Amino acid sequence: MEDYPEELRTPPLTLVSIVGCSELHPSISAALSSQQPPMNTLALPDFSKASILARSAKTRDPLAPPQAPAGILKKDWLLKHRTRVPAAVAAMFRADQVSGDPAQWLQACSDLENLKSVIQGRNTKLVVILVQAQAGDELSEDVTVALRKRAEIDSKHLVVLVERDESEWTKSLNKLKSIFTELCSTYYKDEGRRIKARIEKRNFSSVELSIRYCFKVAVYAEFRRDWPEALKFYEEGIRVLREMIGTSTRLPPTQRLVEVKAIAEQIHFKISTLLLHAGKVVEAITWFRKHIRSYERVVGSPEVAFLHWEWFSRQFLVFGELIETTSTTVPDTLSPRFGTADNALTEWEFQPAYYYQLAANYLREKRYALEFSSSSVNITDGVNGIPESVMPSVYVGQYVRLFEQGDTVAVLPLSDTEYTSYALSEAERFQDSYEIIALFRKAYESFQSLGAMRMASACSGGMAIEYYAAGDFSNAKQLFDGVAGLYRQEGWATLLWENLGYLRECARKLNSLKDFISYSLEMAALPLFSGSGQGNSENKSKNGPAGSPTISSRENIHQEVVNILEGKHAPEITDDGFNLHLVEESTHLDIDQISPLRIVLVACVAFHDQSVKPSSPMLVSVSLQSHLPSPVTIDKLEVQFNQSDCNFVIVSSQEDYSTSNVHDGAVQVTSLTLFTDKWMRLTHEVKPGQSGKLECLAVKATISKHLVVCCQAESPASMEDFPLWKFEDQLETLPTKDTVLAFSGQKLIQVEEPDAQVDVVLNCTGPALVGELFTLPVAIFSKGHAVHSGELKINLVDAKGGGLLMSPREAEESESHHVELLGVSALTTEKGSKEEVDNIKKIQQSFGVVSVPTLCAGDSWSCKLEIKWHQAKSVMLYVSLGYSLESIEEAALHRLNVHRSLQIEGKIPMTVGHQFLRPFRREPLLLSKIRSSSGDDKKSSLALNDSNMLIVSARNCTEVPLRLHKMAIEPDVDGKQLCSVQQISGISNEYAVLAPSEEYKGIFSVNPQIISSNFRLGEICLSWSRDSSLGQSQDNCVIMKERLPEVHIEESPLVVTMECPPYVILGIPFTFHVKIYNSTSLLQEIKYSLVDSQNFVFSGAHNHAAFILPKTEHIVSHKLVPLGSGSQQLPRITVTSVRYSAALTPPSSAATVFVYPSEPKFSSEKGYSAPDACIS
Amino acid sequence: MVVCVAVVGHQNNPLYLQSFTEADDALKLHHVVHCSLDVIDERVNNPKRNSPALNETFLGLLYPTENYKVYGYLTNTKAKFIMVTTDLDVKDADARNFFRKFHAAYVDAVSNPFHVPGKKIASRSFSARVSTIVRSFSSGTTA
Repeated sequence: MEDYPEELRTPPLTLVSIVGCSELHPSISAALSSQQPPMNTLALPDFSKASILARSAKTRDPLAPPQAPAGILKKDWLLKHRTRVPAAVAAMFRADQVSGDPAQWLQACSDLENLKSVIQGRNTKLVVILVQAQAGDELSEDVTVALRKRAEIDSKHLVVLVERDESEWTKSLNKLKSIFTELCSTYYKDEGRRIKARIEKRNFSSVELSIRYCFKVAVYAEFRRDWPEALKFYEEGIRVLREMIGTSTRLPPTQRLVEVKAIAEQIHFKISTLLLHAGKVVEAITWFRKHIRSYERVVGSPEVAFLHWEWFSRQFLVFGELIETTSTTVPDTLSPRFGTADNALTEWEFQPAYYYQLAANYLREKRYALEFSSSSVNITDGVNGIPESVMPSVYVGQYVRLFEQGDTVAVLPLSDTEYTSYALSEAERFQDSYEIIALFRKAYESFQSLGAMRMASACSGGMAIEYYAAGDFSNAKQLFDGVAGLYRQEGWATLLWENLGYLRECARKLNSLKDFISYSLEMAALPLFSGSGQGNSENKSKNGPAGSPTISSRENIHQEVVNILEGKHAPEITDDGFNLHLVEESTHLDIDQISPLRIVLVACVAFHDQSVKPSSPMLVSVSLQSHLPSPVTIDKLEVQFNQSDCNFVIVSSQEDYSTSNVHDGAVQVTSLTLFTDKWMRLTHEVKPGQSGKLECLAVKATISKHLVVCCQAESPASMEDFPLWKFEDQLETLPTKDTVLAFSGQKLIQVEEPDAQVDVVLNCTGPALVGELFTLPVAIFSKGHAVHSGELKINLVDAKGGGLLMSPREAEESESHHVELLGVSALTTEKGSKEEVDNIKKIQQSFGVVSVPTLCAGDSWSCKLEIKWHQAKSVMLYVSLGYSLESIEEAALHRLNVHRSLQIEGKIPMTVGHQFLRPFRREPLLLSKIRSSSGDDKKSSLALNDSNMLIVSARNCTEVPLRLHKMAIEPDVDGKQLCSVQQISGISNEYAVLAPSEEYKGIFSVNPQIISSNFRLGEICLSWSRDSSLGQSQDNCVIMKERLPEVHIEESPLVVTMECPPYVILGIPFTFHVKIYNSTSLLQEIKYSLVDSQNFVFSGAHNHAAFILPKTEHIVSHKLVPLGSGSQQLPRITVTSVRYSAALTPPSSAATVFVYPSEPKFSSEKGYSAPDACIS
Repeated sequence: MVVCVAVVGHQNNPLYLQSFTEADDALKLHHVVHCSLDVIDERVNNPKRNSPALNETFLGLLYPTENYKVYGYLTNTKAKFIMVTTDLDVKDADARNFFRKFHAAYVDAVSNPFHVPGKKIASRSFSARVSTIVRSFSSGTTA
């Protein structure tokens, strides 16, 4: 747009001229241009300069027939009317110039005459301005009249300017302005009407004039700011212009077309500007469409096609710039349904980027046409040469040759051939590429910001092609790479093909063999539309250097790569100067999961198992697939794992890879040839050396000796679809034959730890007993593995769950551990000399770590765990042995573990019970017992100063025999004097053996000597051990203590003692005494009653009462005769103390006697003597 | 004259693209079809602009470029049909009619039990049917 002349780009402004009084010109022209609409002033300092307003003299014979015009529009016509042909001329005179001196008056008159003559023949209006110094200066009426008459103007066209007075000056200036405006409007209207009349009367000889008239009418209308009329005549002009293309014969065809297009361009530009500035975007775009449509096919002869495309491109560029500068938006009134009948326009047409892109496209078209033209011209008439001194003619869009001969300069028309070669030479001077790139870049940025990625990449691709054409290969490559990404992503293989074709050539030009190979291989592996046209070499410009995408060209490209790799250079490549020695080194290509080269080669690795033991063989499948069109022969295949020991190499035996080159682990396979789209499946056996993860990292294929393709291994289970090929409608094959493996196979496998060849044995001898130091032997037997830096971890856990054997709060008090690991004692082995320096031994209550000495294979080691139960609990014991096979540090990281666990019950060894008894047949009256009848006080009551019996029983509740070493009552410290406890019967030997569930009873006599309501007797103290045949030392005795409950000791006021023989004989009478002792210092009245017993007859009172003196004893005696034999109940006696109102009945066990039928005969002496004593 | 028809899949990948020109500008048509996807995206992603046509499948003229006009159509399964023509004046009704027939042919082609959805359409009978539709469109508009 900037190339257009200024007068075309801006709306025309009316022009007036002022002559004379030059000192006032600046202020007047400033005032006129500040007007709305502004007015341009052509200021002439004095009247002598007025001649420039004169019409150029035309020596035209009025009688001669009207000549055909030589062109449509004169180039300077518009400029002339904007700058040199004023609509009105104002002659300025000072008042004193016209009023005083007659000589001056005459001068003024002649100036005025001159001016009149100059503007004669035009319709230019005349205004006379008189400049007064002050408002008060009266001008004589006759002067003004005379002046008016001289000037032949209306009175209102004579303006008086008052110079000195500010307000008068403004007022008079305003008057001048309005007069000028009016006159201008009249002038342009008259001019327009004059020419319009010619159009209407069809008063013109040629179609050129018709167009010219239309243009002029429109311009005059523009001067008047009558936009609709201007638009109408511009449109009319362009319509006529379009029609004349085929009819005019004035110029040779090529130049004719050039002229027509130049005019059309101007008029179209005017129309577009008018429409856009009026806010009629839709009309402007519609108009542009129409314009383009009417000229797009008017290409002209092929030699000058480039002119058309340049012109055509400019149309888009200028319209785009217009849209951009007027910052158009889509009008709200427009239907949002673009592209349908409601609204024929589309979104992009409102975007300047759209026009820039097309401008760039057409400019590229021009470049192609120019290339074509210059090549053909050079061939045909290289001798002709370019005509000299060709210049633009006075007519728009025409060129002439300046012909100088002596002093005379003639202008000669050009022939089409001359013009063509001129235009060609002119066009070749410009580098279109950079302009195209700039246009594409503009469009690219704009589309990018609009979010139209595909449009943007099309622009980007256009830029890249231009860079390529201009020889800037690195820039081109960068842009092509960017675009290729989108095409790869969306699977537009044909577009990608073109792109890669360029990239391949860029790489070739940049001498990058690796890129060349990778682009070539990718191209060769592209899926193509089967319906693609057959390639022919002519359309290389359209399809890029790669030509048409066909199977055969894919194969050719593949073959070309193979040739390069094998050193068989095709002649065309060596021409381009690919370095031969580059090929001597091998080229590496890395293919990962996102690489576009995945379609060239993909490697799929699957282990057949999910886990494996170390050094046991397993199978691994390696599958390769290529989409290259021809079969690929692989020389060597290296499969790499993260454990490098497992790497293996497969070598094709066809290749004469010398045996020296082959690794030890290499496998020979007859043929390693990959056929198109077919999986090559290889299965190999691998022995993993270490435990842990074994992962296949990469598969390296050496192709054609010099190309090493390193494929990242992929798991079949997580293999992604092939980019581009996934859309192909073809049978999908699985990488492995085994379908399960194809869907779930993994490229990594877990190698398990080797089986530990060490046994850990826990020997448990039944349940543990609370209180004892339970020893648990742990034995470690090496059955093939040497144990290095072994470590035994011991853990005790509550078997019922809950983990720890204590609550965290209890952790601080060590007593609260129910089960405690006390220690680990290592048994001295036969190789006891080996002192373990770093003997780790950490023992906590429930956890312990013990280091195990180094053991050779076959050795054993054992230790004993000492665990103590404080309470009966079931406990899980976990023992784990961790060791390494070798003492080296690296290997030490790799540890083997053996785990054992055992549940151990903790049991209470014996239950201890006790019982208080009174002396036989002696009942003290214990008042507390009678009073607290409710029984809330469960304390036993003991009589003061009386021997009370205490029976302690210990029952073995385990399943093993126990030895009871000691049973004693340990009185409290203070209770020792106050109460004497004597053991009446106890363990006679060293110990008493208690069989399971057997009970042992010890009898103690307790004689309290103090009255106390809660007296502590002390603890029962038991000492026991397991009854094992091994004969353990006394140390193993476990002391078990149980506290006796508190007792109540009181003095009994009455003690009832029954006396009766130990046995009686049937029918023989005996005496039964009941002695009642009053231990108080009071007289006690007692009552007693005797109940009959059917087995006895007795003499004496049934009921009686008695008084007992203090500290005396009262004896009640009855004579009884037993009537039945056996154990018989004596008649029951109840003694009641009146004072205490308490009845005392001896227990029935005390009131029983055994009745023999006759005098018994005891054989043993012992037994014999005893009844005697009893009888006596 | 219809110079190119294309079916574009969900990932904006070409499923079918056939050009019907004598001139060897298949590549250019690929570019034209690919760029037109931007306009489809624009129209589909601005539903408020197209609110009256909720179930409208015909997208209309996508954009004019060089001497082509590109028309679009979006099926309910979001397959995109694109038609490139060199005709200057295409009536909406004609274009709709064309796409309707084309849609029917497409439905028949993808209903083939051996066709995998999302893959390129390689059916020969589909191609033949499309050619017939294209010919009838060209003759219909020129007549």
